[in-house]
Amino acid sequence: MKIDLSKVRNIGISAHIDSGKTTLTERILFYTNRIHAIHDVKGKDGVGALMDSMELEKERGITIASAATFCEWKDNEINIIDTPGHVDFTIEVERSLRVLDGAILVLCSVSGVQSQSITVDAQMKRYKVPCIAFINKCDRSGASPFRVLNQLRDKLGHNPIALQIPIGLEDKHMGVVDLLSMKALYFDGANGEIIREEAIPANLVDEATARREELIDKASLFSDELTEAILEEAPITSAMIIDAVRKGTIARQMTPVLMGSAYKNKAVQPLLDAVTYYLPAPYDIRNEALDMDNNEEPVVLESDTTKKTVALAFKLEDGHYGQLTYIRVYQGAIKKGDTVINVKNGRKIKVGRLVRMHAADMEDIDMVPAGYIGALFGVECSSGDTFTDPSLNLTMLSMFVPEPVISLAIKPKDNKSQINMSKALSRFTKEDPTFRTHVDPETLETIIEGMGELHLEVYVERMLREYKAEVDTGKPRVAYRETITQRGEFDYVHKKQTGGSGQYAKVVGFVEPIEDQQFVFENKVTGGRIPTNYIPACEKGFQLCMAKGPKMQFPVNGVKVTLQDGAFHAVDSSDMAFQAAARGAFIEAYLKAKPVIHEPIMKVEIETPTEFQGNCMGLINQRRGMILGSQDEGVMCQIEAHVPLSEMFGFSTILRSNTQGKAQFTMEFCMYKQVPQQVAEDLIKASQEEKKK
Amino acid sequence: MSENKIDLENPLTKLGFESEDIVQQGQMGAICARAGVGKTSFVVQVAIYAMARGKKVLHISLDEPVNKINLWYREVFNPIAAKNNIPLTNIAWDSILTNRLIMTLQLDGFSVPRLEERLADLIEQNIFCPETVVIDGFPFPADRTVLKDLKALGQKMNMNVWFTVTTHRHEEPMDDGMPIQLDGVQDLFSTIFQLVPEQKTVNLNVLKGACDTANAKSAFVDPVTMLISK
Repeated sequence: MKIDLSKVRNIGISAHIDSGKTTLTERILFYTNRIHAIHDVKGKDGVGALMDSMELEKERGITIASAATFCEWKDNEINIIDTPGHVDFTIEVERSLRVLDGAILVLCSVSGVQSQSITVDAQMKRYKVPCIAFINKCDRSGASPFRVLNQLRDKLGHNPIALQIPIGLEDKHMGVVDLLSMKALYFDGANGEIIREEAIPANLVDEATARREELIDKASLFSDELTEAILEEAPITSAMIIDAVRKGTIARQMTPVLMGSAYKNKAVQPLLDAVTYYLPAPYDIRNEALDMDNNEEPVVLESDTTKKTVALAFKLEDGHYGQLTYIRVYQGAIKKGDTVINVKNGRKIKVGRLVRMHAADMEDIDMVPAGYIGALFGVECSSGDTFTDPSLNLTMLSMFVPEPVISLAIKPKDNKSQINMSKALSRFTKEDPTFRTHVDPETLETIIEGMGELHLEVYVERMLREYKAEVDTGKPRVAYRETITQRGEFDYVHKKQTGGSGQYAKVVGFVEPIEDQQFVFENKVTGGRIPTNYIPACEKGFQLCMAKGPKMQFPVNGVKVTLQDGAFHAVDSSDMAFQAAARGAFIEAYLKAKPVIHEPIMKVEIETPTEFQGNCMGLINQRRGMILGSQDEGVMCQIEAHVPLSEMFGFSTILRSNTQGKAQFTMEFCMYKQVPQQVAEDLIKASQEEKKK
Repeated sequence: MSENKIDLENPLTKLGFESEDIVQQGQMGAICARAGVGKTSFVVQVAIYAMARGKKVLHISLDEPVNKINLWYREVFNPIAAKNNIPLTNIAWDSILTNRLIMTLQLDGFSVPRLEERLADLIEQNIFCPETVVIDGFPFPADRTVLKDLKALGQKMNMNVWFTVTTHRHEEPMDDGMPIQLDGVQDLFSTIFQLVPEQKTVNLNVLKGACDTANAKSAFVDPVTMLISK
């Protein structure tokens, strides 16, 4: 296997639903000889496109898991990594965007920049992914690529520059004019595989010349060589322009725009050329890891095979041969027979079989050098884990995993589903640290927990589709919590002297609220009033009470217990007795300390055209939300607000219907906050009614 | 501590201002200083003291994003809370946070009728009814008619309006001590403050509006915390 990093591209293809992403991917794989027949998305032939591994993705129009496929184009190695487009799966998005070096932003030439394109674009901006744009569907009626190009500038704030102009639009779309070589390109053959170069049609010469001027003008900002050539009126070569545009693209100052129609097999090959010309090689991109020994300080990684190894496992796949783990190596190399460490749990891993994926089949390789993507066999790990040389303690992703805020009870419909469900759950929890599951000891129901309504819904669907596990779901429940608001004293004696060995313990002290911590225990007992060997039992007794609050049975947070005094009995005191005393004391003090219920508050960001700003603010206001602020960004405006999660169920539908579908929102967990009196009373009432049942 | 209010001692009231508002409803105030001396910090403090008294504050920024302004408030509030011995600052902060709304507008899109439309929208839907408006980043020297319109809007909606005015080192003040940026518009402001960095402190001077100007000279801003103290 050759190692030439300058010829490696790790790219993603990001797009709005229905802008033809799957079709485009399919065509790319065809032209790179990965597949030998073209299937259409809505397959008449019943085979379906290759990359759409999950039916659910098609149905919801979202990409959930990130599949990676390798292909070759004119000596360049291209890894295509699928990116999820929905924000509820932030961890998955973060992972796949870490792995990419560049992206193709696919836009539909009819519908243009739509709300989801904005989301995708925002994510790419956040992770500083350079991109090129492909304006697809130039064959459709109403196609207007240059309107889309302007939208790229106005709505997304890019600096788009056309590298091509279309030859005919709608049903007259024949090909494109390449502004670099100033040649017309036509695509012949059954699948457009034969490229025919001709002179530019006479009616397009003027436009092509003008656009080329514009291209050179903009590109010259990034290249002195090109500027000099312009000033000296020397001939301008394609190489000069390519070099300048590449610089601008990698610096994220410019977005080269290509156009065509993937469905009609027009101009996909020039797009592949553009990927190799303008998108960055792995060493063009600055990758950072977080140093675990140094408070997660960022460390810059170098694509150098001689340095110490750092790699990220970004996807797991259940194959016929066990678990396949996709990795991207950032520094050093992973070789067969090496030993690496999984930073998350410190476990040593011996690298066994290494492979490279070619869509459906695989090729055995001896090493995966920095900048490359490969897969490991038979390694027990979760996705998002970092593998490093044993002497390093770096992680590619922050170890911080937010607590789930919403839960849902699920029940398998039959016995077969039961088995499949547990298989599915064990796989999902490995893939996604924010997705958790447990069995409720009281109701014996299986509870799944996650970061939002849609997050859980998708997993329930995936259980059905991928594992054929049919489940009934309960109503989603918000993860409320309890805490105290003032100091409460306790003075509690636990005494039992009815036959057998007795129990005796006394504890005195107080509880008080504390911020930012779940539970703190302080021992201030002096003079051996409680022997030190019983202190841990007291602490344990208090801590056990935190799991279920006496008020509403929600977990308790933010309590500091100070133990001041107590008493014991030489014979009757035991660990058990002190634990029981602590429990009694906790309930006594807790009720004195004015307990309140806390609820998860979500940080909601709505992006809406300015004319609906008032409507959106009204919607938030109706939901007990607090508007932090609004930000004008030209025609669009962004509203930031804090809204209780319990009020956000079904919000996406309501938002859409109030804004003609033009607004969209993102939501992530922000903090816990006290529930207002009125709502708390309702909650208590509801829980009491449930108890009666 | 009652709903949406907390007790904070406002050092500005000691500067010889009769009411806690410093600037009366329908009037305008300004804080002038060179870049980096603490104008935003000053208006944020004014806003926090107003919020603590249960007044609704609308913070309009023309150059910074919402998150950054939010951070300003947190950074300024924590030392104020510490000075006033407020326990559990997070809870205290949350209790007055509902008194604030941040709006960032693009400078080229800023116009008084547009602002009025926005405000009317907020008030009509009962989302937010501002009593104090802080405009940070408004370019001075300014068009007199725009300021006049803003003042009229303030009077109509019964709000007081604060501005930050950036001055420059190389520009001499006018004969009466006012910064040159306020030339021709100073009569529109009822109160004008100025921050002047000295060797180790930053002095806070009242250029206009105090009842007892002599007393006012002794105030300064702590250059570390940027808090107003006496």
